[in-house]
Amino acid sequence: MAELLLDPHIRFWVFLPIVVITFLVGIVRHYVSIILSSQKKIELLQVQDSQVMIRARLLRENGKYLPRQSFAMRRHWFNNEETGYFKVQKRAAASQNPMTDPGMMTDMLKGNVTNVLPMIVIGGWINWMFSGFLTTKVPFPLTLRFKPMLQRGVELAYLDASWVSSASWYFLNVFGLRTIYALVLGENNAADQSKVMQEQMSGAAMAMPPDPKAAFKAEWEALEITEHKWALSNVESDLLSITEDKN
Amino acid sequence: MSGTTKSKDNKTEPIAYSEAALRNNAIVVEYCRTSMAALSGSTAGVLGLTGLNGFAFYVLSVITLWVMFMIKAGPNWHKYYVSRQSLLTNGFFGALFTYVLFWTFIYGMVHVY
Repeated sequence: MAELLLDPHIRFWVFLPIVVITFLVGIVRHYVSIILSSQKKIELLQVQDSQVMIRARLLRENGKYLPRQSFAMRRHWFNNEETGYFKVQKRAAASQNPMTDPGMMTDMLKGNVTNVLPMIVIGGWINWMFSGFLTTKVPFPLTLRFKPMLQRGVELAYLDASWVSSASWYFLNVFGLRTIYALVLGENNAADQSKVMQEQMSGAAMAMPPDPKAAFKAEWEALEITEHKWALSNVESDLLSITEDKN
Repeated sequence: MSGTTKSKDNKTEPIAYSEAALRNNAIVVEYCRTSMAALSGSTAGVLGLTGLNGFAFYVLSVITLWVMFMIKAGPNWHKYYVSRQSLLTNGFFGALFTYVLFWTFIYGMVHVY
């Protein structure tokens, strides 16, 4: 089959171990990142802000199903000049530098520890341990351009481009096994599993506006110009006409 | 909040899709697609397909998976998916990468040495 004869021992002591090691390291990394991940602290004020924003938006969109007085009451609660929520609540303009927030810093550090560090350590170890082997051949022809990508560590000018060296085989596995992790560990694995759970539980409330002051002002304006048009004003005659048609 | 409404406003009857259900369907489809890519890649490797044959086999298996989805969903597929077209084409290249990896792996295990 191959015009180049490889020792069958390479198959069992280089080729297969690289696949297994890459896969298992990915799984270990997944669980380590679960251990390290910290529950994000939520500030009560921020949740309150975002819930108020959601309520105001719901009122704007679905207010037509409320009687005029109810709509006016709700809008009054938000928008009244003296007592309205959007007028009374004073929020400091946020947008502080994320670097000054120590919690953010540790999160970034943890992300680096679980993602970059294993990449360097395991990659270096594989390079050192399994360097210089030709492991396999991709079953389709490739152009010479792929040579540096697929034959890292084996610099042979006359070798066909479709042969793959051990170091490159490792990198192919690192990138190619991602979808398999999704299969084995479930969707959104690695670091952000807990994050996803949180989002599902509290919905859009988590996504707080970055700057509550500006968001409040925008919402206040939008609510102010909303015109109340009751969608159900003709509901009795509509209903009667339907039943009359049937009879 | 998140469980509602992306509606197409035709004059006739607005169709409302449940966002959570759509997302769940997308996850299931992705799961199937990854499995398909891995299995068909292994098959191609065992069979020893090379060159264009292997890629043709991939296209064939993608279409097969799509036909299986359609058979499973039955005549009222639009209850589950927004569009049949995107069901066929979504994630084509992402799964191709998985396919090529498995193809290369099994081909290397079986045929190279």
